Amino acid sequence: MKRWDLIVIGTGLAGLTAARTAVEMGAKVLVIGRGMGSLALFGNTIDVLGRIPPGADMRAGVADWIAAHPDHPYARTGWPGISEALGAFRGLFPPPYTFDPVGDGNSLVPTGAGTMRPTYLLPVTMTAGAGMSAADTLIIGLRGFKDFQGDTVSLHLQCRGVNLSLPRYGLEGLTALALARLMDEESFRESLGEAIRSQMAGEKRIGLPAVLGLKAPADVLGTLERITRARVFEIPMLPPSIPGTRIFHRFREFLIDKGATFLLGNPVIGAEVKGDLCEGIALQNPPLLTPHHAKHYILATGRFLGEGLRADTERISEPLFHLPVLQPESRGKWFRERFFQQESHPIHRAGIVTDPELRPVDPGGRVILKNVRVAGSILAHHAMIEEHSHEGIDIATGYLAARRALGS
Amino acid sequence: MRHADQTPTPPRHLPDLCVRCATCMAVCPVSRVTPFFPGPKQAGPGAQRFRLASQDSVDDWIELCTACRLCDTVCPAGVPISELNLMAKAKYRDERRGTLRDWLLVRSDRFGEFFSRFSVIVNPLMKKRAVRWLLDKLLDIDRRRDLPAFESPTFRRWFQSRPVAPEAAGNREIAYFYGCFTNTNEVDVGKAAVACLEAYGYRVSVPPQRCCGIPRLGVGDLRGAREMGQRNLSLLLPTVREGTDIVFSSTSCGLMFRHEYGPLLDLPGAEELATHLFDICGFLLRLQEEGRAGVRFGRLAVKVGYFAPCHLRSLNSGLPALELLRLVPGLDVRMIEAECCGLGGLYGFKKEKYAITEEIGKDLAKEVARMKPEIILTDCEGCRMQIRHLTGLKVLHPLQLLRDVLPSA
Repeated sequence: MKRWDLIVIGTGLAGLTAARTAVEMGAKVLVIGRGMGSLALFGNTIDVLGRIPPGADMRAGVADWIAAHPDHPYARTGWPGISEALGAFRGLFPPPYTFDPVGDGNSLVPTGAGTMRPTYLLPVTMTAGAGMSAADTLIIGLRGFKDFQGDTVSLHLQCRGVNLSLPRYGLEGLTALALARLMDEESFRESLGEAIRSQMAGEKRIGLPAVLGLKAPADVLGTLERITRARVFEIPMLPPSIPGTRIFHRFREFLIDKGATFLLGNPVIGAEVKGDLCEGIALQNPPLLTPHHAKHYILATGRFLGEGLRADTERISEPLFHLPVLQPESRGKWFRERFFQQESHPIHRAGIVTDPELRPVDPGGRVILKNVRVAGSILAHHAMIEEHSHEGIDIATGYLAARRALGS
Repeated sequence: MRHADQTPTPPRHLPDLCVRCATCMAVCPVSRVTPFFPGPKQAGPGAQRFRLASQDSVDDWIELCTACRLCDTVCPAGVPISELNLMAKAKYRDERRGTLRDWLLVRSDRFGEFFSRFSVIVNPLMKKRAVRWLLDKLLDIDRRRDLPAFESPTFRRWFQSRPVAPEAAGNREIAYFYGCFTNTNEVDVGKAAVACLEAYGYRVSVPPQRCCGIPRLGVGDLRGAREMGQRNLSLLLPTVREGTDIVFSSTSCGLMFRHEYGPLLDLPGAEELATHLFDICGFLLRLQEEGRAGVRFGRLAVKVGYFAPCHLRSLNSGLPALELLRLVPGLDVRMIEAECCGLGGLYGFKKEKYAITEEIGKDLAKEVARMKPEIILTDCEGCRMQIRHLTGLKVLHPLQLLRDVLPSA
């Protein structure tokens, strides 16, 4: 059987970043995803540390954060590591569909719930949302499109909103993918642009659900901005995420083009461990169980959704390598008293503890597996939801894990 | 007899594995082009929660699922979405009388052999507008869809009548499952497969074989699919038990053998067959990588587009054809970034579904127009038919190109 340089388990942003980093270093890489990963769900913008106030210096903010949270995944990389990894990510998206910060640091962008959330890098289709004000923005809802409620968004943002019937008769009730696909058609987006223009009352910005095309979002943006003579932006909405799907497609296209092998749709259900080395993993595609071997492995299986972590009625476990999981001492302490509150629940800090090279360690700090590295949200000591740090952790640790695995 | 008596119904709890994350909605080729199919999340686990064996089906749209299985490949929770759809389709079909069209279409293997004998008469007939019009009116087989021409002699007869393979072909044995379409409609794919296997030092045999049964599965005829499976297992297991592995060149046949005979249809011996059954390109790639039996391909300076069929993705063993093609010096090979060709096998021949398949195919056609390849390569006969129809370009199985750059050629 072929022996790979690196097997990456997980196709979220952490796994894809690790795979891409390794491929760029010339490694023979196998990427395995049980499913498509979390990008299709939440991938929209790149959060790094939303707790840093908009406009404040990111470098200083992250340094302060690390000083106050010495176990945080960012402490493994520092700002230089985060910055380098983000630079590599941005390199994957050349103009016209780029990811950039607005101003010097975080900016606030509208969400599909009509709130404003802090984030760091925005795709070009969302940057205009960062500077919106209630007075200059028109929110466009699409009648019959259930995943984006324009009325809710405009009500909460206190700006004007209109619901448009789709330019082509009989298309109501279409899915986000169907809409994004239609937006890729010039004639469709032109007629939508005309329909928007007829509703405008001097607004300078237009907010739309994040369906501005799958293949050529920058062109969709260009057409709409040309016709409306306003700045247009996408607003993230319920899954599936079109912007996240674009990111996934870009990575997949790149990885396959560079010779990585991409296996999607079956779980890795077992690992062969000898001493402190992983010697192989087994992919289950019933009725077959196929072994794959590599020099190095990266575990980027995420948390509970993709079963990177598994919770039974009492304990949280890591099902593949059976790594120790840092977790609240008992079930009773998983959640706080109220479900919705500012601070995240203790269960969301559960995860794998590693050494500075991202190798998993036991409670005594001893490395358990020398050729396995852990990346992404499965790592312990972060609260990515509360911190607004999901993508930053994925990118920074995925990048670091691959660099360390391949000895650089 | 009800299908439930014969085949395992997924345990009731399976739909509850679904966490409603909607990832499947990001890949379904059907729900992105028509509002009449609610998409895998709703059609599969969503509707399954409301289906009772004792109640009649109400979901007419279940027939719109093409069984591409892309939803299965992206689900983070391991929900067997396409299988749920298939079971629902089977129940829906059981409650109605099967159509004459389905009866005819799923027997294309038998008719194929017959038509192949009379290809001189049949082929011109199938091109006649009047005949296509009749098929359209009487059987709802869409007249805009080109019917594949039949070739004579069949691959099987060509193979059996050709001079015995030269000694140089080597003494390692490999058996080849060619599939119906290769046998009667694309004989050259089979010839290319044999040439490639021989170039790698194998002596090729073609054990007796029948249609894999995937067309029957596609129309919800589980009983028919099981029958085909049982026949094939009794025909192919002896080969495997003699110690000879089997390769297939059609990814849909391969998927049926490897992952439906056992896990879905629960046929005895399926697992044994599955462990000895390989995608032919994957098989050759492994030989190439092991280095002992690799060949050095000749130079060919052509720009080709490669398209990965949906069922190849479900086989989930990578893109071996693409990797092999990359070993050809001078060849400019690029991936066609599209999710699905849209044909869905027999699905695309059905009048009421033609518009859907055309709409899905547009995305692929646009990618091809952007790429401007001279030749398109893909492992699935359905995709080849559809891509020819969509682009008018020359579309081949990857082996047909590789055969031309083999060292001896």
